[in-house]
Amino acid sequence: MTAGLELVGVHAAHGKAEVLRGIDLTVPKGELLVLLGPSGAGKSTLLRVIAGLHPVSAGRVGIDGRDVTALSPGQRDVSMVFQAFALFPHLSVADNIGFGLQVRGMGKREVRRRTEAAAAMVGCEKVLDRRPEELSGGERQRVALARALVREPALFLLDEPLSNLDAELRVRTRTELRSLHDRVGATMVHVTHDQTEALAIGDRIAVLRDGRIEQVGTPDEIWRRPATAFVAGFVGSPAMNFLPGDGPWQVPGAIAGQQVGVRPESLRLDTSGDGLAATVTGAEVIGEDAWVRLRVDGHALVARVPATTRPTEGAQVVARADAADLHVFDTDGNRVG
Amino acid sequence: MLSRETREPVGFLRSRRVQLALMLAPFLVGLAALVVGPALVTFALAFADYDLIETVRWIGFANFVELASSTAFHEALRNSLGFAAVAVPLRLLIALGLALLLHRRVAGVGAARTTVTLPSAVPEVAYGLLWLWLLNPMYGPVNQFLRMFAEPVSIPNWLTDPADARAGIVLMSLFTIGETFVVLLITRRALPPHVYELAAIEGATGFQVFRRVTLPLMAPVLGLLLLRDTILSFQFSFVPALVVTDGGPPPYATTYLPLFVYRNAFEYLRYGYAAAATLVMLVCTGLAVFLQWRLIRRYRSRYEW
Repeated sequence: MTAGLELVGVHAAHGKAEVLRGIDLTVPKGELLVLLGPSGAGKSTLLRVIAGLHPVSAGRVGIDGRDVTALSPGQRDVSMVFQAFALFPHLSVADNIGFGLQVRGMGKREVRRRTEAAAAMVGCEKVLDRRPEELSGGERQRVALARALVREPALFLLDEPLSNLDAELRVRTRTELRSLHDRVGATMVHVTHDQTEALAIGDRIAVLRDGRIEQVGTPDEIWRRPATAFVAGFVGSPAMNFLPGDGPWQVPGAIAGQQVGVRPESLRLDTSGDGLAATVTGAEVIGEDAWVRLRVDGHALVARVPATTRPTEGAQVVARADAADLHVFDTDGNRVG
Repeated sequence: MLSRETREPVGFLRSRRVQLALMLAPFLVGLAALVVGPALVTFALAFADYDLIETVRWIGFANFVELASSTAFHEALRNSLGFAAVAVPLRLLIALGLALLLHRRVAGVGAARTTVTLPSAVPEVAYGLLWLWLLNPMYGPVNQFLRMFAEPVSIPNWLTDPADARAGIVLMSLFTIGETFVVLLITRRALPPHVYELAAIEGATGFQVFRRVTLPLMAPVLGLLLLRDTILSFQFSFVPALVVTDGGPPPYATTYLPLFVYRNAFEYLRYGYAAAATLVMLVCTGLAVFLQWRLIRRYRSRYEW
């Protein structure tokens, strides 16, 4: 089976600053891959390199088994949804969706038929005659999606398509996006800095940092077996707790210089028994959950527990976690074991 | 620091309307004295015979009747309309082409933009005298240059052949496009870059991008410049015709309406007759602007920006 997308040793720069420093990535056909990383990690640049909007300084880009490195964006058979839902302000919604078909010389009736089909797929068929400025953010986003769908390209590129939506709409659209992918069955690359979004919709996640890929894996792998301390710390909210290897936590084999990570969700609090003696320094209650701040031997920790069981401030508690939930990272931040 | 008492206006000055009127007054006085007044006088004089010395004699439509049968006026009208029809679209096209060529930041683009803008900064009469030299049939650089490629018979006689002289005046006007160029340059640079990235991904060719994206997005400004240039074109034919060709070759090859009006008013002292010609010129301009406005509106409804 040919790969939907294949990146080999991709380097790219903005002026003199190197933004991508050797990206190797293979996305099987039909997969929804999420590029996750903090701002400035190079996610958007990578997407633009795949689309052909930004030149590579070294490396190859392959789409559907074709080397497209030297091809123009229009020849790559990709479509893209931009962060700002880029639409043509002077064209109606229908003409926006059908633009790519029109410029390829498709007949009027066929363009109309496909435009209506794509609009129906994302639920914007009622606004076909309106102009972009008359639409809400959510509607614009649907139109941008319909435009991306209508050409049935080999590869979909989505550049933070949900970031301009309000929180509630974002969660709903996230689900719709996932189900849309399952219906269309196309290869998609979705860029986001929102780790919840990445975990929710990705078949796999590639975590980027400073122009390099830290880890590629399923959401489950990223969550349960983060390959580096960076991935462990970036994915999860509240972030993973880190303690020195020779610190209060006794992990077999952990030594000075190493770090032991434990997710706030893995910590259990008790009033007595085995574990780390901790002092409660505060708590934030977020609905059903409480983020409890603890102090252990001068180290700050956060535990995420049900709000109903949260200890009061100043209380002495014992924090406990299963050995399987402890992650050990070496001095370079790489996972041990 | 000012005290509160001195800052607060007193008496009738406290009224907002009075303040507004006072602030507008300098402009309104100027407008009335320099534009509205003379315009009304011109309108009245069109129906009179007046030479600055004898008293005004009201003669009804006699001036217009004379214009209708005057060969000189017919020539001038035809010359002016012809000039507008050829020079305005050419000027706009050249300015648009240069703006699209020079909107990107690359090495040397600043110098190129300055070069395009500079001729518009030259005083009109100096610019005319410069072209008098450039177009000289014997030693002018334009013809010296043309002689390197063309047969001697096909070399234009810029100052002595009627058609060549009119072409020369158009040619002169094609270099003073600085303002139009600057406006179009800014308009193009203000267009959102993501629209172009989108068009690139959708596979639009260079010409399709121009026709389906750039042109409709720039159309409001292009329309405005078209109207403006049409109105101005009646005026900027005046100095070249006066300085370079003196309205000739004889009798009237490059006598445009403004020159016709100028001659009749200030050389033949026929103020009434000149005023009537001015009114006709105004009506022509109005008609041209109206037709273009209709055209622009039709284009607008197609794209609905």
